[in-house]
This record gives sequence, structure tokens and C-alpha cells, in this order.
Amino acid sequence: MASHTDNGEYVEGMYVPFTSPTEVVNDLVNNHVKVSDMWLRGVVAASILLVLGIIGFVMNVMEGVSDRAVWAYYALMFSFILTTASAAPMVAIATRMANAHWRRPISRVAELWSAAGLFSLLLFIPMLWILPPLNDGRRSLWFYDVNDAFFSRVPIYSPHIWMSAAILALVALGVILLWLSAMPDLALMREHSTGWRQKWAARLSKGWVGSSKQWNMLYHRMGVVGAFYFMMLVFVHFLVSTDFLMALVPGWIDSLYPLTHAANSLQAGVATVILTMFFLRKFGGYEDYITLDQFWALSKLLFALSLLWFWFWFSSFNVFWYGKKPSEQAVLGYLMTGAYQPAFMAGFVLSFLTPMWFMMWNRVRKSFWGPAVMSVSVLVGTFFDKLRYYVPAWSVNDIGIVQKLGEPGAAHEMALDNLPKVNMPGVADVFIVLGVFGGAVLFYLLASRLIPPINIWEQKELVLYKFHKAYHRTEVMVLGKPR
Amino acid sequence: MQDHVQLSQTKINDDLLAGVLGMPKWWLPSVVVLVLIIFTGLGAYGYELNKGLGVSGLNRPVFWGFYITNFVFWIGISHAGIMISAILRLTQAEWRRPVTRAAEVMTIFALMAALSNIMFHVGRPWRLFWVYPYDFSRGIFMNIRSPFVWDPSAVMTYLIGSSLFVYVALIPDIAIVRDKATGKFAPKIYGVLCLGWRGTPRQWRLQAIAGILLSALVLPVFVSVHSIVSWDFAVAIGVEGWHSTIFAPYFIIGAIHSGVSAVAMIMALAIWLWKLENYLRPDHFDAIGRLLIVVAVTWFFFFFVEWIFALYTLEGPELALREFQVFQAPNMWLFLGFLLTAFFIPVPMWMFKRVRRSPMLMFFSTILVNVGMWLERFLIIIPGLARRQPLSFDWGTYNPSIVEILIVLETFAFVALGMLLFAKFFPIIPIFDMKEGMEVREEIKIGRRIVPASIRETP
Repeated sequence: MASHTDNGEYVEGMYVPFTSPTEVVNDLVNNHVKVSDMWLRGVVAASILLVLGIIGFVMNVMEGVSDRAVWAYYALMFSFILTTASAAPMVAIATRMANAHWRRPISRVAELWSAAGLFSLLLFIPMLWILPPLNDGRRSLWFYDVNDAFFSRVPIYSPHIWMSAAILALVALGVILLWLSAMPDLALMREHSTGWRQKWAARLSKGWVGSSKQWNMLYHRMGVVGAFYFMMLVFVHFLVSTDFLMALVPGWIDSLYPLTHAANSLQAGVATVILTMFFLRKFGGYEDYITLDQFWALSKLLFALSLLWFWFWFSSFNVFWYGKKPSEQAVLGYLMTGAYQPAFMAGFVLSFLTPMWFMMWNRVRKSFWGPAVMSVSVLVGTFFDKLRYYVPAWSVNDIGIVQKLGEPGAAHEMALDNLPKVNMPGVADVFIVLGVFGGAVLFYLLASRLIPPINIWEQKELVLYKFHKAYHRTEVMVLGKPR
Repeated sequence: MQDHVQLSQTKINDDLLAGVLGMPKWWLPSVVVLVLIIFTGLGAYGYELNKGLGVSGLNRPVFWGFYITNFVFWIGISHAGIMISAILRLTQAEWRRPVTRAAEVMTIFALMAALSNIMFHVGRPWRLFWVYPYDFSRGIFMNIRSPFVWDPSAVMTYLIGSSLFVYVALIPDIAIVRDKATGKFAPKIYGVLCLGWRGTPRQWRLQAIAGILLSALVLPVFVSVHSIVSWDFAVAIGVEGWHSTIFAPYFIIGAIHSGVSAVAMIMALAIWLWKLENYLRPDHFDAIGRLLIVVAVTWFFFFFVEWIFALYTLEGPELALREFQVFQAPNMWLFLGFLLTAFFIPVPMWMFKRVRRSPMLMFFSTILVNVGMWLERFLIIIPGLARRQPLSFDWGTYNPSIVEILIVLETFAFVALGMLLFAKFFPIIPIFDMKEGMEVREEIKIGRRIVPASIRETP
């Protein structure tokens, strides 16, 4: 049986350099309570961007909500935040379920993005006014049919109702997960800090004393909430990609696309976490915790998810392209090979080709800069990929089948008759893009002041479960697997 | 792994080589029965060759029946080997060790069974020559646009890759058999097969690298095979219910569902037949049960999305097909059976830890999954063809003939015989992997608790 007497000092800066949980607590608490210049600069910059976004939003409001094309870039940014920030907590959930020890320093980094989920909820509210109800003749998951006695009773605002409920549940689950996982750390803050932070921590730690019962409950609850978060995330992507996107383009029936939307979010979520890790390491003072281990492990995941993105995309494309169905050819022409081809190519190159080519090399994966640069590539690629879907879909103002409903076989004929012109961004759109980006970052930065961005209790566990020892003529790592 | 049994290297050799160096009593009778079934099936195939495909239940417009259903089913089963072995190896899951070999070997025999179904199906198998490989000197280029060229290319690549995968992982164990085997020829044959393995550090390093590389390289092939099989259906717009973009991932996750279930089935059989309970512990069944819950729920979600989108089209023929599948006999009974056996009976069972840790219950629940998944493939293929389509002039019915039934049974007997023969000549549980598992096992004391741990190389 191994003991902790041989819990040695670190090998080339690759693991936690602490030998006792107390040192971990002191270091992380001290780091958390001080306000750094970089944090302040980040808050100021993000606030300026958010103000620009609000200006852009007001400019759009003055245009009204009748022309959906005006709001195309707004919809794009809502989807972008849903795809990146809302998916980031999955990194913590999945790796915790898999009991991967390398996750410990970064699980909170990922979970803190749940705070940006609140921002996505705010972004969603105006979309309820912009999206058309079902009686304009578009397709729907909810099977509304004006000509059918039974299905005409389906509420015409079903997409709005269900999506609101789903995104509210997603955001609530994210916040609950963050709170649950932070509870032991909040108890620590209660003991080790003063002033408003102590009051806030005391209130939210809910009398946490770290009894066995509390720990067992915590593990159990985090598992359950995490599983529900994942299911809700997939469900939200399912709804948004059908009711808020596919349904707006006549003839676009792609049963794989909701899953592609969700898979893309997992890829972008990992990229978001890698980039956040990079900044926290570089500017947040956490270089002793966020090490090469985390970058290496997450970059493998990012590589695998980039391949998954390609496989999903190709599966859809191949069936459409080979099938030669006119309605599907029109959709391909609109979203991929027509006016939005540059956006498609940018998405394809940055979301798939670049990460695939560079991340197949271990030297790139096992570095700090490699995964960070690839994450930027994936995030920019995701932006363009979302652009080539959302902007054209929201620019089809005449869904075009209202008059056909009621005619025999009308639904079968739903297809794009004319391809609308490319919708280039205006000043308001640029402001909105910047503002949404700034808003999400601002929410994250503010949340990181309230809750330590490095999970202290998981880091303490790591010190107990992972250490090095001599083994014959070499040194090995011993990893405890408690559950 | 909480209920680990620590065994010495000698004990592992003795236990895992018992079936290779000796012969269990049940082995020969089982082989005889399986050979008889295979010969009966081959006799039926000879009859079909002689009389033509008319002796099968295939007819206009139902040109695809039991053979293609069975082809897709065996391709699905073949995904178990890579799923279990490559993915779990790359993720360093400790519980993989005793189950990888059986899963990989099943992949190979399942692929052979799948390919044989194509031969049974085409009626004039000598024409397969024209598909692949191709003779450029004839000036005719193969029709690369045809899914029937994609299929053999992908399946053959997968077969070659999987065989290499099994062989590379087998080399250290063959060397052990070489050292233990007696007689005039056996040590020589094993000596040749183990490629001069002596267990030097360099050989171990090369073997480990080859294993990891093959794991990574075979994964895209694994994905491509069933994707291509699914595109046999999905790229066709003439048959309602087939033209769906989700088919590739839906087929793959279904394949993993049936394949991993088959592995659990074989694990239970291995305990009963070869008395390997020290190696296949309840923890292993628990782990595979948990994996199956995740896989089954994911598969069901894909199934759900596929159905929702069929209804979402609002296309009359598509809706009529779904009604034909679900509400009209005999399809409705098959559909009900499919749903119950593939999902609604096994998954709730697996929710209980007691079920997951019981080899007997896992055996029966996973058999149910495979019955269900076979029915799923049948229901995808037959009803779509049986309905009158714009490109067909009439409705059709399909009743499998006794010839088809015998041939399908033959494929099951073939895979079972292949597994038994393999287990007679090579260890069905990787000996070196088990020894390594025992060696890297650790325990650490934290407070009053003893926590299981494993040793890893420092990165």
C-alpha cells in the first residue's frame, strides 16, 4: 500500500507543486480575494463592448421587429453564445463523470461559464417577438395544422413556449450546478475572508461543514444535475436548430442537423474552456494549477470533437448532395455554395481543417500556445459556421408556403423558390456582435470575483489522490480512483 | 474496480491457457453441432445457387430481405471490438483488460459473416468479381459513385485493420503459448506466429506504440464502415423512410448498442464455459452495464429524432410508411417487439446495480437487445420496399423462405464456431494485459479509507 510520505515535488512544472491541502487552500484563497489589474482592465473593456452592443440593439429596435432580416446577426450571436458559453460547463460535467483527475483545476473554470448562461437568457427574450408564430405556414416540430381539426388546436406560439421553458431550465441547471460545486469552497471563503465576501459566502454555503453525509449528497447531486444539464443542452440545441432555424428555410429538412448543432457546441465549449484556461494561466496567477496536463488532455478532446464535427457535416452533405432532391439542392445552394460560400469555407477551414491538421501533432497538443491558437480557430470557425446558417435563414422573409397550405401535397413542394440576397452586416450588427461577446465575458469576469475560478476542494482531493513514487528504476504516478 | 482479485503470474498463465493447452468436455460436441448447422446453411445456399434467388422470399418490389438485414446486423456487431478495445484503450479504462480480445475477435468473425451475406444476396456471386478489385486493362473503371463499391472497400479495410489490431495485441500471448505448448508442430507454429517475441523492452515499446497507433487509425475506419452501410439506404430518395441525413450516426450508435451488448453476452458465456470468474468480475459487468445505459439512451434519442423528422416532413408517403410500420400487422408486432427488446425492457433493468452485477441477468438482457436490433434493421428495410412507391408499380409482401432462415442461422453458427476455434488456439483473455493490470494495481490509504489506485507512467 502506498503512503503519502513519498508525495514528492513536481517534475518540470507539470503537476501541482504543493504537498499539503492546507497550502492549496491558503494559496488559492489569497489569490482569489485580491483584485488584479488585469481583471479590472478586462471588466472595463468588456463593459465598453457591452455598451456598444446595447447601442446596436437600440438601433435595431428602432427598425422594428417586422423585418426578421434586420435581426439575423442578433440571432447569430444568441446561437453563438449558446454554442460556446452554455456548452463549456459540459467539460466539467463529462470529465467529472469519467473521474478524470486532470479536470480538477479546470472544472470551475468551465462551470463559471454557466453565469454567461444568464446573459444568453437575456438575449433570448427579444427573439420571442421576432420569431413568427406557426400560423404563417412554416414547418414546426409541434405539428400545427390549420386544416386539421385536432392539430389546429396546437398553440401557435408553441416554439416560443417550449424554447423559453427549455432555455430557462438550462440556465437554472447551470447556475445550480455552479452553486453546488462551489458550496465547499464558499464554506472556505466563509472561514477565510472578511466583509461582503464572507457574508455572501456564509449565506450561499448553507451551513456546509464537510460531514460525510454532506459530501455524499454533494457528489450525488452534482451527478444528477450534471446529467440533466447535458440532456437539457441537447434538447435546447434540438429546439433552437429546428424551430428557430431550419423551419425558416423552406425545404430544409435535415434530421441530423439538431445533433450537429449540439456536437458543434461541445467542440466550441471545449475551445472556450481552453482559451479561458490560457488567459487565467497567463494573467490570473494560476500557472501552478493550470498546467500542461490540462492543455494536453483538452486538446485531444478538441481534436476528436473537430473530427466529429466533420463527420456530422459530411453525413448531412453527402445525403443531400447525392440524393439530388431539388428542394435539398436549393438549400445547399443557399447555405453552402451560393452567396454564403465564403462564410461556409471559413467555417470549414477553421472548425475542421486547421484543428485537424495541426492537432494531429503531439507537439502542438502538448503545449500552451498550440491548443489556445487552435481554440481561437475553432471559435472563429464556429462563428462563421453559425453565420452561414442563421443569417441566411433569418433573411428568408417570405417563408413562402402560406398560400399553398390546404392544397393537396403542398407540404411536399416546400422549397426555396428564389434565393434571397446576401445579408451583409451593418453598423448595428457589428455593434451587436461585439456587445454580445463583451457581455458574455463581463458576466464571466464578475462571476469569477464571487466564486473562486479554481475549484479548491477538488484541488485538495488531487493532492491526496495523485502522487509520484519510485518504481523499479523509474518514477511513476499513482492515481487513486475513489468511486 | 473494487472487487479485484489479485492473482500471481503463474496462476494467470494456468487459468488462461487451460482452454488452449487442454480441451474442455463441452468443446468438441459444441463444435460438431455448430458445424452441422453451418453445413445445413451452406446446403441451403447451394440449393439457392442451383435454383436461383426465386427460392428465397425476395420478390418485386421487396428486393432486399433477410440477407441485407443480416448483413447490417453483423456489421453492427462488428463495431463492438473497436468500441470496447480501441476507445477504452485510448482512454486507459482499466476495466477493459479482460474483455478486449473477445470483442476484437468477434469483430473479425462478424465482418466475415456480414460479407458472406452479400454473397448470399446477390444470387450470382461470381459477379462480385466485377465489383472489386478491378482490372484497369479492361478499360472499364468501376463505378465509384455506387454504394456497392463503397461497401466492400470499407468493410475489407475494416477487416484488414481489425485483423492487424488483434494480431499485434496477440503477439506476447502467442509467445507464452509457444513456451508452454508441447508436441512436435505446435511450438514451431506458435514460434513463427509470435515473430520471435522475447519480451525485450524494445519489443514491448514497439508493441505498445503499434497498439495505440492502430487504435487511433482504426477508429475512422470503424466510423466509415457503418456510415457507408447507412448511405446504401440514405442516399436513395426513391424509398420512403430511407432518405434521412441522420442515418450514418444513427446506424453507428445502433451498432455500438448491439455490439457492446454482444460483448456482455460473451463475457457471461466465458464465465460459464471457461470458468473465468476471477477475471470477469461483477465490476466488469457493472462497468459495461453503465456504458450500455449511456449508449442505449443515446441510441434511443437518435431513434426519436429520426422519427420526429419523419413526421416533421409532413409528406404524405412518409407519414403513410410510418403508419404502415407501426399500426399494421405484422409490422406492428415486430415494431412493438423491437421497442421492448431493444430499449424498454433492458434499459430499466440496467438501472439496478444488482442486475448490472449479475452475469445471468446481463446475459438475458443483452440477448434481448440483439433480438431488438435485428428487428430494427428488418423494419428499416422491408416496410419501405413493400409500400408502393413512385418508382415501383405495385405493393409487395415479404415472407422469408426456409432457405433464407437456414442461411441466416448459418451465419450465427459461423461466428460462434469462429470464436470457439479461436479460443482453442489462442487465449480469449489477453494474458499480458491481465498481468499488467495486476502489476499496476495499487491501494492508497486516505484517512481511514483504502482507495483503489493504479500506476501510470509519468507523461
